[in-house]
Amino acid sequence: MKKLGLYVHFPFCIKKCHYCDFLSFEKDSDETLLVYAKAMAKDIELWSEKLKDYSIDTIFFGGGTPSLFSKEAMGVVIDAIYKHFHISDNLEFSIEANPKTLNKDKFAFYLSSGINRMSMGVQTLDEKLLNFIGRAHNSEDFYKNYHEARDAGFQNINLDIIFSIPNQRMAHWRNTVEKIIDLKPEHISFYSLQIEENTPFFHRFNAGEWNEIDEEEDRKMYWYGVNKLKSKGYIHYEISNASISGFECRHNLKYWSMEEFLGIGIGAHSYLGNTRLSNETDINKYIQNANNKEDNTVWIHHNQNKDNISEFIFTGLRKRRGINLEEFKSRFDSSIEQVFPEEMANLLSENWIEITANNQMKLTDCGIDISNHIMSEFVIL
Amino acid sequence: MGMKQKNIRNFSIIAHIDHGKSTLADRILEKTGLVSHRDMKEQYLDNMDIERERGITIKLQTTRLVYKANDGQEYIFNLIDTPGHVDFNYEVSRSLAACEGALLVVDATQGVEAQTLANVFLALEEELEIIPVINKIDLISARPDEVKKEIEDILGIDAEDAPLISAKNGINIEEVLEIIVKKIPAPTGNTEDRLKALIFDSFYDNYKGVIVYTRIFDGSVKKGDQIKMMNSKKVCEVTEVGVFAPAPIPVPILEAGSVGYITASIKQVADARVGDTITGADKPTEKALPGYKKVIPMVFCGIYPAEGEKYENVKDALEKLQVNDAAFVFEPETSTALGFGYRCGFLGLLHMEIIQERLEREFDLAIITTSPSVIYKIGKTDGTFEMIQNPSNLPPIQDISYMEEPIVEANIMVPNEYVGNIMELCQERRGTMRHMEYLDAKRVVLHYNMPLNEVIYDFFDALKSKTRGYGSLDYELKGYEKSKLVKLDILLNKELVDAFSMIVHESKAHLRGKFVCEKLKEIIPRHHFSVPIQASVGTKVVARETVKPLRKDVLAKCYGGDISRKKKLLEKQKEGKKRMRQFGEVEVPQEAFTAVLKYDEKK
Repeated sequence: MKKLGLYVHFPFCIKKCHYCDFLSFEKDSDETLLVYAKAMAKDIELWSEKLKDYSIDTIFFGGGTPSLFSKEAMGVVIDAIYKHFHISDNLEFSIEANPKTLNKDKFAFYLSSGINRMSMGVQTLDEKLLNFIGRAHNSEDFYKNYHEARDAGFQNINLDIIFSIPNQRMAHWRNTVEKIIDLKPEHISFYSLQIEENTPFFHRFNAGEWNEIDEEEDRKMYWYGVNKLKSKGYIHYEISNASISGFECRHNLKYWSMEEFLGIGIGAHSYLGNTRLSNETDINKYIQNANNKEDNTVWIHHNQNKDNISEFIFTGLRKRRGINLEEFKSRFDSSIEQVFPEEMANLLSENWIEITANNQMKLTDCGIDISNHIMSEFVIL
Repeated sequence: MGMKQKNIRNFSIIAHIDHGKSTLADRILEKTGLVSHRDMKEQYLDNMDIERERGITIKLQTTRLVYKANDGQEYIFNLIDTPGHVDFNYEVSRSLAACEGALLVVDATQGVEAQTLANVFLALEEELEIIPVINKIDLISARPDEVKKEIEDILGIDAEDAPLISAKNGINIEEVLEIIVKKIPAPTGNTEDRLKALIFDSFYDNYKGVIVYTRIFDGSVKKGDQIKMMNSKKVCEVTEVGVFAPAPIPVPILEAGSVGYITASIKQVADARVGDTITGADKPTEKALPGYKKVIPMVFCGIYPAEGEKYENVKDALEKLQVNDAAFVFEPETSTALGFGYRCGFLGLLHMEIIQERLEREFDLAIITTSPSVIYKIGKTDGTFEMIQNPSNLPPIQDISYMEEPIVEANIMVPNEYVGNIMELCQERRGTMRHMEYLDAKRVVLHYNMPLNEVIYDFFDALKSKTRGYGSLDYELKGYEKSKLVKLDILLNKELVDAFSMIVHESKAHLRGKFVCEKLKEIIPRHHFSVPIQASVGTKVVARETVKPLRKDVLAKCYGGDISRKKKLLEKQKEGKKRMRQFGEVEVPQEAFTAVLKYDEKK
């Protein structure tokens, strides 16, 4: 059977963070969440009929804040997956969770439902910064939940942290990284904060309330994080992700390896049979469509060869091991040097990419800092 | 043609830009039943897209109309359109020479403006009967009585009977038609005399060759006649004569007093130049019509194929444009920065912009234009002199004994509250005031002598900006004067980019250099290394800026498998790179070349 990743979108939070431009809303009532969960369950059923020859080997519950959903609502979704889809034995089942929405009861429920990977949004351990970016929790909330998760039996935990927060100094960042590593999570994601349009941060930034963190400073923080993690035995396997060996996030790796995945819920994206799709973003329409057993796809793009070439390279280069050039050749019937002669020569001579002995093409360390530039070279217009 | 000269009226419409000339022409066409309202594109006579967009007429259109007047007789109206910009003054004067009268359209809210004045002077020189028409009277801010008084006081033209119209809404158009019949004199040529006809425009047609627009003053012309252009000496056989209705329609003969076209297998418009006199090859008239002038380009710039564009395509397009535009000249040149291209000459900055736009739109070319320049006179130490229009061709500094630059007489009309602003602007641009006159309590004409190279960059934009659009300008070449000029070079990453070089007055080198450096700093994207931008005169750096290096160009998040956003971003980045021009290691967007020429209010 073909392997399939499943992403399910839970677009509600206690409150919206000031930097967040994801598709999510402040929670109104448990009722609404249940209605939405039931609609997703119907959508799952609808899709399962089209994907009978697939077996799900990774599931990722993302948001929003999936942990905000009640056991009942969450159960509706999980039951639908197990009922309608074939599930592989070695399932990786992740859930994103935010401190303050968690308790012992929920952890026990998650484990009993087959969820075996917990991804917690910590962002920073500095109280002032937590408040500044508009998080609903403080560091104490986090520590409490983290230990509860461990006590309940979670053996694969990811912690999300952010750098380049305005007013964040190197000392703050160092402090957060060290404290996080002390907790020995299996996986750490470290993201540079981006000021996205139409967020409260964007308006305040435009109003001149603060300067974006200096690029040099941003890179210092990034490389401090990378080096510190490596020194503590973590493997830096993707631009913004590191893990203990064997705990790489298999679901996210599918995104970077052109593997198939199905997205359920509003705004979710899918990649199925050489086609990229995305879902209705209006929650009411989504619920209505699902209840009427109608498809929620609003955008379909059948990938041409040039799309596949570009995507294979630019997603693949996010992985530190890069892309395999033999695989490139067998996928596209020509070598990467044949498709991009000038680009390859330039990038190699600038030492922004390298080709290793086992024929992997990867970004060099200095290439990471300007990865957009490098990736854009491989876009075919 | 069967119609006696006494029933012919040859006239033009003259106006300041935006005063409604083309709209009135449309209404006249409509009222005489030539074009139905439904078929009418806005402003029928302006047939190029650029003309419609800019609201100005560049190429002439001529139309023959039949009007049945209140006296019961039919009249032939030959409406000869005129270009609406100072760059094309000569063409205006030749069109006017083909007429007996002119409608002077004046905006009832704006009153008399600089170009109104300039056009009236041209019309008076041709001794035309000028009929004022006051337009836009339906606007709330219309002040027809004051405008009438202005016309009388400033122009000395009786405006008492001036029709009050709204061309846009078709108000009082009949009155205009009747006044044309009554006031504009009929032509009085002698049909039996030797042929004497004026070329007032010409354009190239793929099938017929050059189509010559002509006004027959004496004699007649028909198919098969041998004709001669008195100035170009070109002799050819007439293949067709006709009139414009407004499409060309062949007729058996064109006789004295009439306006129409002649084709004679002429290959390029330069052989049938505007202002030339057509006569019979066998029995020529003794004296050519007065006023012929070979127009000469005043403003020059380099035009180069942009990245990915073929040199041959540019060449073909320039040749095609030249066939139709005797005032436009070009010759090959080479730039170290831009490769092979052409140095092109234009009547003025507008003419230059129009040619550029036509190359881009009609011919779909990607081109780069270098800084415009004028012709400098370089006196050399060996006693000879050279005329230079490309800064790169300037002789070595030790060989130059003196330099001269062209000076124009500029007439600037502004409402009096802006006089201070404009005097300041003119002073900045090295102008010297000749005198200043009050047209009325509110309006002032400033007469300045200005170096042409100060006018061609952005003077007009600055004038408009500093007068909230009310200022107007016309100018003509006065002569050359000695001047302390220097060559200002721009260096990117320490390498000279010759396409940015320009000749400026010594006192302006620092400011101009600073402006260009600042502009380039805004436009040149950050590289992975720092890019110094320097402006220098000789070896002396007069201004500098630095494009800071890009230290971070990485996106952390790519969420939930949505790679489409990231892909769009990368595609945009790649597209941006395609529009870049590589100079050494530095990538410069194509728009940099025009951006450094644009007026910037903040600077």
